[in-house]
Amino acid sequence: MLSLHPLLRPIARPFSTGKFLVRSQRCLNGAQPMKRHVGTSPGSSQPSRPSSEPPRPQRNVIGAFTPTSAALFIVVGVGLFWYFRNEKAKLLEQREQERTSKSYGRPHVGGPFSLVNCTAPPSSSEQRFTHEDLLGKWSLVYFGFTNCPDICPAELDKVTAVVNELRQSNPNLPLLPVFISVDPARDTPSTIRTYLSDFHPSFVGLVGDHQQTKSVCKAYRVYFSTPPDADPKGDYLVDHSIFVYLMDPEGRFVEAFGQAADKDEMVEKISQFVVEWSR
Amino acid sequence: MWPFSSSKTENTTAIYTREDRTKCWEARDQYFTCLDSIGVLKPGDELKSAGEGACSKENKAYEQNCAKSWIEYFNQRRVIAEAQKDRLAQANTQAANATR
Repeated sequence: MLSLHPLLRPIARPFSTGKFLVRSQRCLNGAQPMKRHVGTSPGSSQPSRPSSEPPRPQRNVIGAFTPTSAALFIVVGVGLFWYFRNEKAKLLEQREQERTSKSYGRPHVGGPFSLVNCTAPPSSSEQRFTHEDLLGKWSLVYFGFTNCPDICPAELDKVTAVVNELRQSNPNLPLLPVFISVDPARDTPSTIRTYLSDFHPSFVGLVGDHQQTKSVCKAYRVYFSTPPDADPKGDYLVDHSIFVYLMDPEGRFVEAFGQAADKDEMVEKISQFVVEWSR
Repeated sequence: MWPFSSSKTENTTAIYTREDRTKCWEARDQYFTCLDSIGVLKPGDELKSAGEGACSKENKAYEQNCAKSWIEYFNQRRVIAEAQKDRLAQANTQAANATR
């Protein structure tokens, strides 16, 4: 209604002044704001417009930019800004949580193997021991050799203490310590059996031929090196990695414990992993 | 009784038991303590610096109780550990100087 008025007005008085006419025509092309030209033009005798109405910007000059749209723009912009910032914070927090609960990439340690079980009772048919025998229980896998001067016995003692302590605090925890020989030339099943009798009674001792040993070491990312001129009946040492690998009941790698990790640290971490895993 | 005392080639089936290991380590520690007391780092150097008979009793027990490969390994490690200690001390003083 109100917009109709000004539209009609110029047409009603077409010939009052030339200036007026021009303006009126220009206003016709535009929409609403033409009122102003009409109403406030000098020399206009029109009493029509209330002078209290504030002058509005010309729409065709400044486009769609009105206080309303500007406000809308700012509100949406700020809203989006907060939304994305919020989302980003959430994402970061989630990532941090995942990181602390160690769901990050798992190293490819472990894999299929088939070795001779040196510690199986002689009568049993279970003379072979494969990766499938690790399933359903936590295992602590150590690679070494029986003629090892000091590191292997120390590590095996540590594993023994860890197993004892975990069994004490958690009697139903299926936990298997495993010893795999990296010196198949000298470590016979009976040698290994005798050797392991100094350590935890539940130790499983495994040995294969040279090829099998190489392949299981590769799967577990274990380095071992026998001197090139080693006499299989002689006195030599085997250089090898000295990590204790913790594998979960699904046979997947969980953690590698080095020499620096002491018994208490291992017990604590393993207990933590067990709790996390059963969740 | 000692798996590696009589002959270095016949001991193929001999295995170190916990007892054997402990004896070897003790003999080694006694020999190394003796070397420390006369200020010798590298095993074998005591003969040059302190003459025949220096630490010979300890050395004999060491050789009787430990396999040759073990002796080589322990002797090498003694030298390496000392070098590492020096380097570590150096690094520490450097770090201390740097932060000053």
